[in-house]
Amino acid sequence: MIVELFYSPGCSSCAAAQASLKAAALGAVESLEWRELNVLDELDYAVELGVLTLPAIAIDRELVFGSLPTVEQLHEALMRRAAGAA
Amino acid sequence: MFTIGRLATLAEVSTDALRYYEREGLIAPTGKSEGGYRLYGDDAVPRIRLIKQAQHCGFTLAEIRELLILRRRETACCGDVRQRAIEKKLQLETKIRAMKAMSKALDRLIADCADATHPVEECPILAALEQTDAPTRAASRP
Repeated sequence: MIVELFYSPGCSSCAAAQASLKAAALGAVESLEWRELNVLDELDYAVELGVLTLPAIAIDRELVFGSLPTVEQLHEALMRRAAGAA
Repeated sequence: MFTIGRLATLAEVSTDALRYYEREGLIAPTGKSEGGYRLYGDDAVPRIRLIKQAQHCGFTLAEIRELLILRRRETACCGDVRQRAIEKKLQLETKIRAMKAMSKALDRLIADCADATHPVEECPILAALEQTDAPTRAASRP
């Protein structure tokens, strides 16, 4: 499973919550790949996924959160997806 | 202090536009003349320039209002404004992508109608648009 966080550099809300979300995601799913993407470097990809607001989170190349979720919301989304894939 | 007419001249907008901005909460008079006319402060000119330039960059009036509020917020920083600019760019790029898809759909319809001398009731473009899976629908899919 791949989790991609789209952020804009200098976004204070991104930096504050990023670490706790990353830790929660890595702890929830084994062999999860966590990627942090500067939206300006990956603009075409962000548009392709439908990212319109920042920060945003995609799971397995599907936009799931248009704003930063809570740790619980991310955990739930990951579990749901992991259960679906099993 | 400027009257609405003077402000319109200085900011190069119509008085109607200024009244509209005022109704939308983007500008406000700072006082009234003895005759009861609205008067605007010196800061109104750069504020209107900001509104106009932001509109040219695709910001809606509601979004511009947020930018103006953000400018007054003590805890806000340049990064907050930059983030809104990046989000606007994402929206514009999404629209450009959708419009390119529409343009390609039109290319296909135009190519289908190579013989423009058909009577209109046999027009392949109109026939294609009637189909459930017309090229325009196919193009709008992600």
